[in-house]
Amino acid sequence: MARRCAAGVVLGLAAASAGAVELTMWVMPVTTNAQHDIPDLLAPWLAQHPDVHVRVTVLDWESGWNKITAAAASRRGPDLLELGTTWMPAIAAMGGLEPLTPAQLAQVDNGAPYYPELWKTTQVFGRNGVYGLPWYADVRAAFYRTDVFRQAGVDPAQAFSSWDAFHAALRKINGQSVAGKRVAALAYAGKNDWNVVHNLAPWIWNAGGDMLSADARRSALSTPQALRAIDFYSSLAVEGLVPSNALEKDSDILEGAWVGGDYGVIFSGPWLMRRIFESPPGSVVRSNFDVAPYPAGPHGHATFFGGSNLAIFKGSRHKAEAWELVKYLGGKAPQVQLALVSSMMPARIDAANDPAWTSRHPAYAKLTAIAADGRAYPPIPAWGPLETVYTKHLGQLAELTAGIGDKYGAPAMKALIADTVTEADKVLEEAN
Amino acid sequence: MSDLGLTISTASGERPRRRRKVDAFPYLLLAPAALMMIIVNLVPIVQGFRMSLLKLNQYTLSQFMDAPFIGLRNYRGVLFDPTNPVHSGMLGALRNTALYSLLVTVCAVAIGLGVALLLNRDFPGKALARTLLMLPWVVPTYVVGTLWGFMWQRDEGIINHVLVDVLHLMDHKPFWLIGSNTFFAIVIPTVWRAWPVLMLIFLAALQAVPEELYEAARLDGANAWQRFRNITLPSLMPVIVIQVMFQIIDNIYSYNIVAMMFGKGAGYPGEWGDLLMPLLTRQSFSYWRFGEGAAVSFVMMAVMLVFVALWMRTFRRSMTSEA
Repeated sequence: MARRCAAGVVLGLAAASAGAVELTMWVMPVTTNAQHDIPDLLAPWLAQHPDVHVRVTVLDWESGWNKITAAAASRRGPDLLELGTTWMPAIAAMGGLEPLTPAQLAQVDNGAPYYPELWKTTQVFGRNGVYGLPWYADVRAAFYRTDVFRQAGVDPAQAFSSWDAFHAALRKINGQSVAGKRVAALAYAGKNDWNVVHNLAPWIWNAGGDMLSADARRSALSTPQALRAIDFYSSLAVEGLVPSNALEKDSDILEGAWVGGDYGVIFSGPWLMRRIFESPPGSVVRSNFDVAPYPAGPHGHATFFGGSNLAIFKGSRHKAEAWELVKYLGGKAPQVQLALVSSMMPARIDAANDPAWTSRHPAYAKLTAIAADGRAYPPIPAWGPLETVYTKHLGQLAELTAGIGDKYGAPAMKALIADTVTEADKVLEEAN
Repeated sequence: MSDLGLTISTASGERPRRRRKVDAFPYLLLAPAALMMIIVNLVPIVQGFRMSLLKLNQYTLSQFMDAPFIGLRNYRGVLFDPTNPVHSGMLGALRNTALYSLLVTVCAVAIGLGVALLLNRDFPGKALARTLLMLPWVVPTYVVGTLWGFMWQRDEGIINHVLVDVLHLMDHKPFWLIGSNTFFAIVIPTVWRAWPVLMLIFLAALQAVPEELYEAARLDGANAWQRFRNITLPSLMPVIVIQVMFQIIDNIYSYNIVAMMFGKGAGYPGEWGDLLMPLLTRQSFSYWRFGEGAAVSFVMMAVMLVFVALWMRTFRRSMTSEA
């Protein structure tokens, strides 16, 4: 509670006046200084709505989920809130969110300004209703060292053109020594990381597989396409292209190590740009990096698309004002403004193509281009528990590939995936 | 005798009434504590038991205590249904928890007792040594998990550096956070944090043993081992029995160190690192299976109550100084 109070910021009129409305808004720490940046973001809207106050509470990703579900269950919560794209269907299915009316949808052109994959996450799979607006996007791409590629004689355009080309490129860059530092080819984390599923999903999609069956009732991880992708992804560690000590680390540590020059390639999101530019001006990586799409598989080069949406809480007593604020934050200018301070990508297509975003560095424009192939998980209410099942089991690939004993092989991997599918299907069964 | 004494009848029928005076004053003193215990313990326990009989999950959470009543189905599912997600991995976690509790308890008690015996003599800097040895216990378990998580890193961690580069005890750096060594990666920090407080408790108990007993034993020609076995150990037995029981309970309910060391993903440390409490948290809360989670909690509570009852019964005599 003390933490909440400490994180709360009241914006608007200093003193309550007759008829004044106070909106409560829950957000995640989308910027490194959300306490300061969110008020800045709201300032133009508040200037146009002098009779409205906004009390902003910055939650954290660890405890936010429990707090939001408790609010949804008790019907006591904020007026509007930020929800991760994979959280939204669960909270909507609990009846915690107010669906948008046809009139409200018409005001946002029925979602046309937003990336369609992100717009999909404002709904619940198989049901009617839209529960909010996309706010910002997390899009994944390959961040690579141009100097290492150059030294190894690898053409980046070729390296990401297919899995075979990517594999060959990694073999060439692995062990290159740049500025006295030996560079490992690729970094990805093992079991102790929240990105396990997001890291694997693009490989599965690009192999022609999927995370779920078409009707979203069963896990699709045991299809030949998905198995092929998991095998290819794992084999990079088995072969030593991903150093085995990376498998005991998390994404945050690995991203820091990549910025420090330890790895040639890492798959990450737009926040890595901020980290790169926060490194010392003379750092090797800062002036020698670029961004590329996921290596094209047999079925394309899709990437993971996530992020956050804004929604109106069902129990809100000020739904009209809350909608006005959601609509404002879903607009182009606020989305660009948020992207500039947060390093997360705008969820609107026009904002993601705005020069204020794309001209900061060529890599930003490339992220926008890569987002066109972004793909989100099916917005099912059971995604939360399902992702835990997937993360739990797929994280164990590290146990197989770290080179302890002689465990790795097709039978071990198939057994692991079979266990995953059994548990995942049981979770999905309850949802249907 | 207090003026608040009450008279109650203990006989019935035609037999002559025997009256016994009961002093109510102690009960009045205990009443606030008892009331608080009922509010903070008994009410949640009863509510938790009720939850364990409900189909309380993601889809019924908004109904909370009005969720569908399903009797003992949750208990059957988590205990006997191999396809139940909460049951998945439970046998492995049970095995790990049993081994972990046993190993941590034995090591922590042995080290605590050994160091207490060493400190139970006068030497320069004794107070400073005792204070410094208490430092691991001062570190919160969450911090212990985080710190040791870094220390166990294969290439950058200090443990492999000491074992391989400094002491040359191994010819290669092993993984501690991947594979079966995960078990030791959680046991060792737990022991590291647990033994100092045991040392302090044993030291206090040792200082209460009358010196005359040792003097008499020396006069009778008893050597150090005989004095330890016949005087020290029996004198400490009440404390040891209680501390072992507390250690076992603490370790069976252990959560923080595993959560901090492996909690950034699904919170699953792998086949050899999963304990019952992290499993319960992950597979009931993260899976949103609250009814089944409550059922597992009740099974654990019942097992623990039986264990404590058996322990108290077995060592009842040892817990009294007259034994």
